Amino acid sequence: MTKLDDLLAYEVVEGLTEGQFTAEEYVISILKRIEEVEPKVHSFITLDTEGALSSAKIIDKKIREKENIGQLAGVTVGIKDNISTQGIRTTCASKILENYVPTYDATVIRNLKENGAILLGKLNLDEFGMGSTTEYSRYHPTHNPWNLDYVPGGSSGGSGAAVAAGECTVALGSDTGGSIRCPSSFCSVVGLKPTYGRVSRSGLISYANSLEQIGPICRSVKDLVMMLNIISGKDAMDNTSMSSSPITVPNKSNKLNVAVIKELITGSDQEVVKSVFSASEKFQEIGFSCEEVSIKNLHYALPSYYTLASAEASSNLARYDNIRYGFDYPIGEYKWDTYFSNVRENFGEEVKRRILIGSYVLSSGYYGKYYLKARRLRSLLRLELLTLFKKYDLLIGPTMPILPFKFGEKIDDPIKMYLVDVNTVIANLAGIPAISLPIGFSNGLPIGLQIMAAPFEEQKLIDASYELEKVIHIQRRPNSI
Amino acid sequence: MSMVMIGLEIHAQITALNSKLFCSCRGNYRDLRPNSNICEICCGLPGSLPIINQKAIEYSTMTSIALGCKVPDKIMFYRKNYFYPDLPKNFQITQYNVYGISSIGIDGKYELDDAKQIRISRIQLEEDPGRIVYSEGGMNVRNTALIDYNRAGVALIEIVTEPDFTGPKEVRQFLNKLSLTLEHLGVCDTLLEGSVRCDVNVSMNGGNKVEIKNINSFKEVEKAINYEITRQSSVYNRNLNIELETRHWDDKKKITFKARSKEEEHDYRYFPEPDIPVIVLGSDFVANLKQRMPELPNQRFERFILKYKLSEHTSNILINDKKLADFFESTLKLHFSPTEIANILVTDFKSLIEDDTESTDYLKNLKVKPEHIAELAKLIEGNKISRITAKDILVKIFESGKLPSEVVNSSNSYKIADEKTIMDAVQSVFDTEKSAVEDAKKNREAINFLLGKVMKFTNGRADPKIAIRLINSKLSDPEKQ
Amino acid sequence: MISKEDLEHLAQISRINLTENELEKFPKQLDKTIEYIDILEELASDDSVNLDLQELRFEELRMDEISMSDDKQLNKNITEDGFLRGPKMK
Repeated sequence: MTKLDDLLAYEVVEGLTEGQFTAEEYVISILKRIEEVEPKVHSFITLDTEGALSSAKIIDKKIREKENIGQLAGVTVGIKDNISTQGIRTTCASKILENYVPTYDATVIRNLKENGAILLGKLNLDEFGMGSTTEYSRYHPTHNPWNLDYVPGGSSGGSGAAVAAGECTVALGSDTGGSIRCPSSFCSVVGLKPTYGRVSRSGLISYANSLEQIGPICRSVKDLVMMLNIISGKDAMDNTSMSSSPITVPNKSNKLNVAVIKELITGSDQEVVKSVFSASEKFQEIGFSCEEVSIKNLHYALPSYYTLASAEASSNLARYDNIRYGFDYPIGEYKWDTYFSNVRENFGEEVKRRILIGSYVLSSGYYGKYYLKARRLRSLLRLELLTLFKKYDLLIGPTMPILPFKFGEKIDDPIKMYLVDVNTVIANLAGIPAISLPIGFSNGLPIGLQIMAAPFEEQKLIDASYELEKVIHIQRRPNSI
Repeated sequence: MSMVMIGLEIHAQITALNSKLFCSCRGNYRDLRPNSNICEICCGLPGSLPIINQKAIEYSTMTSIALGCKVPDKIMFYRKNYFYPDLPKNFQITQYNVYGISSIGIDGKYELDDAKQIRISRIQLEEDPGRIVYSEGGMNVRNTALIDYNRAGVALIEIVTEPDFTGPKEVRQFLNKLSLTLEHLGVCDTLLEGSVRCDVNVSMNGGNKVEIKNINSFKEVEKAINYEITRQSSVYNRNLNIELETRHWDDKKKITFKARSKEEEHDYRYFPEPDIPVIVLGSDFVANLKQRMPELPNQRFERFILKYKLSEHTSNILINDKKLADFFESTLKLHFSPTEIANILVTDFKSLIEDDTESTDYLKNLKVKPEHIAELAKLIEGNKISRITAKDILVKIFESGKLPSEVVNSSNSYKIADEKTIMDAVQSVFDTEKSAVEDAKKNREAINFLLGKVMKFTNGRADPKIAIRLINSKLSDPEKQ
Repeated sequence: MISKEDLEHLAQISRINLTENELEKFPKQLDKTIEYIDILEELASDDSVNLDLQELRFEELRMDEISMSDDKQLNKNITEDGFLRGPKMK
């Protein structure tokens, strides 16, 4: 019998409903797995063992009494630690929120709970979501389960690693410039950044609020769809959220027109490109057409992203002055602005850099030079993509231009680190949905395919991913740990 | 003669709202225990998002219309970034007029009594910060701040004028008219503590602009301006320059003192608020609102003259006191006699209530209601009581709340129209005032003295016309003496 | 070119103290980032480009109703009267 922690989410729900095992048994299996691998992987910041077990017992009781248990009943979910969970410490991997315990649940958390999901704990990230490797976490870095010397990607590195390592069945991450897709690609799991506005951001601790979305990270497309449907929806607590239709899988779909983005190929490593081409061949085998296209404004995308994200971050993080919540730092005799500056010394380096750049680009005199131009580029890029989507259903390319790399390789040069996001920021700037699907390995290191669609066309993404998943069998769980 | 230019920046709370601008906490925070009227949103807790209040947009649009402003089809919100302990997010969500989309009103004008137009630069909707209370000694003493966020997030309308005022009297007139307008719209009760704040900028003889902040009621504005003009004049007289600076008004010492020089001005790094989409009002919005919105003072003035045929003088008195005008129209519903009722209200009634006009509840707590005045008017018109009697009756019903008819009955105050009774009274007076009667024969003026005695004799109840006639006939007929 | 003074000014307006180490290495790092985003200058300053912003209609906005829950508290530094104790203002 498959180990319970190996089960996919839909298998867990089926198994529980059919009485093959109890929720408690399953959760214990997960917790055992965590005990085994966590000392090597370090996915978690906060693990709520007690809460998980008591939730499991409640589910079991409901099953015994034949009550409604919800669509995600009993499934263990890991939550990226920038999503508010009532009563559970939420740190954003920062020292500045070391003692912060939210008084409310994010809307997505409420949705999960209403559907019977079991919250396991809070997963590691780069501080406030700024980074691509979790090396900027102020607690500890997370290690790639496929090779512990390598980074798991970021900023949702804890989420990607935990799912791959079997420490939770599914996870939630957030994606501002690629933070779900990058760790999904590096950890050989499936991750989706939804259309901007599809999922409520209420409770997501903002880094760059015009760019980010919460999304699922799973080991199968079917699991992903279950999660996406539960967390999607227009929310009264988020004025930027919009309503959407639920996704079905499998789905009777037409043959889709796919195009590979040329610039993303030319900018990528050989090994990565090889895998992408084999994927496009598979697409053609299953009857999807596959051509090549070019995007004119692509080389402005990453500079625009960093301008806008830093600008928004500098404002979103201004509230952290330790007056209302935060960490242990007595007020003493300090004058208020000295106190603020002292407190905020506690940010990590990368966060500080982005706040400073953000303040710079927003200052009078520079606003027109950087910020306004970046916004214009956003419109231009979105327009260009929407035009392409009239002709093609899907645009594809490698999720990451490079293979996973070792710790410390890019940490000394911020620009080198930023360049890692060059393929993924496009979807955030344009507000379109994008998925990363595992399509291969090179020297044991995972490679992911990125598929993008027009706004609210997640169904097409899922259709293609589901079909591809059937014909490209990629391992989503390392044997090595 | 020095040339003075004064401009105003007024912040008026939308006291009509039930909830705050971006959350559902109470809009009226007065007399509540500190920090008991808060939630995640108005305290800026991590992950919280602003949810704009529909009614706030309506009220601010009405204000824009009343001040002759253009209202755009679409509006946007901006962030004004600065650090301060009373600002939970360390930015304020406000509006800003730049790069196209404007605030809720621009380019308006408001007419003063002498037909002078004051240009309204802009009207914007924004949130109030919390309050800092100083433990003993006030801001200048080295004590810790005590912060209360109950007020944080309350909706404010900011009204900015061009520096078109040439003196404090004009400013006072403007503020009075503005208060009246806001009262008519129901938007802001300017008598509520803290509901309006006014910053003033004063420049003389083309010199530097001095901004005066911290004026916490409209009444103090005139005083502050007078002080500042005097101060600036004396600086000029000593051949010194006025600095470009911000000063604070100290309402205890009645002086302005230097707060900070303009060089230390913040760069607020304005950028569009990403959490609130562009709000589409639509091209019919203003027209629809104009039809539905309450009558403005000048509209009501026109209507009183046209419909009720009141004089401009009487109409003016009523219009300038909305509660009195409301009382007037309520009375008309019971008895349609505009001239008589208006007359009672603007003379005797008004003098009886003169002392109470500062309280928000005045007129509400009176024992006299529209029914009373309606009945009083009927009695006068039906010739049942004289005007002099009516005056006394009014005083009595003010005290007792009894209806006029009751009072008249119990005090036997009905008008005497019966000639015989009056003749008896005249005879009685003639008998006792022999020297006055002799005077009256020679001097027509002295008849008033006799009339007065007759009225006194009859407790004011004699019909004066009949009494005069009888006195005259008796005087001219020697035998009747 | 970001000078040490520029950096200190930015740190001041952002209310962030920088460590000695950061004061050393940030100017160069920030310079490189600014150099990287300078490419945006190539884009035309075209005011006619629609900024393609998300829209919300007036009819969809929140109704003006009070809704409060009792458990909304601030837990840090609260005095007996309910005030939040803040640092000195001067």
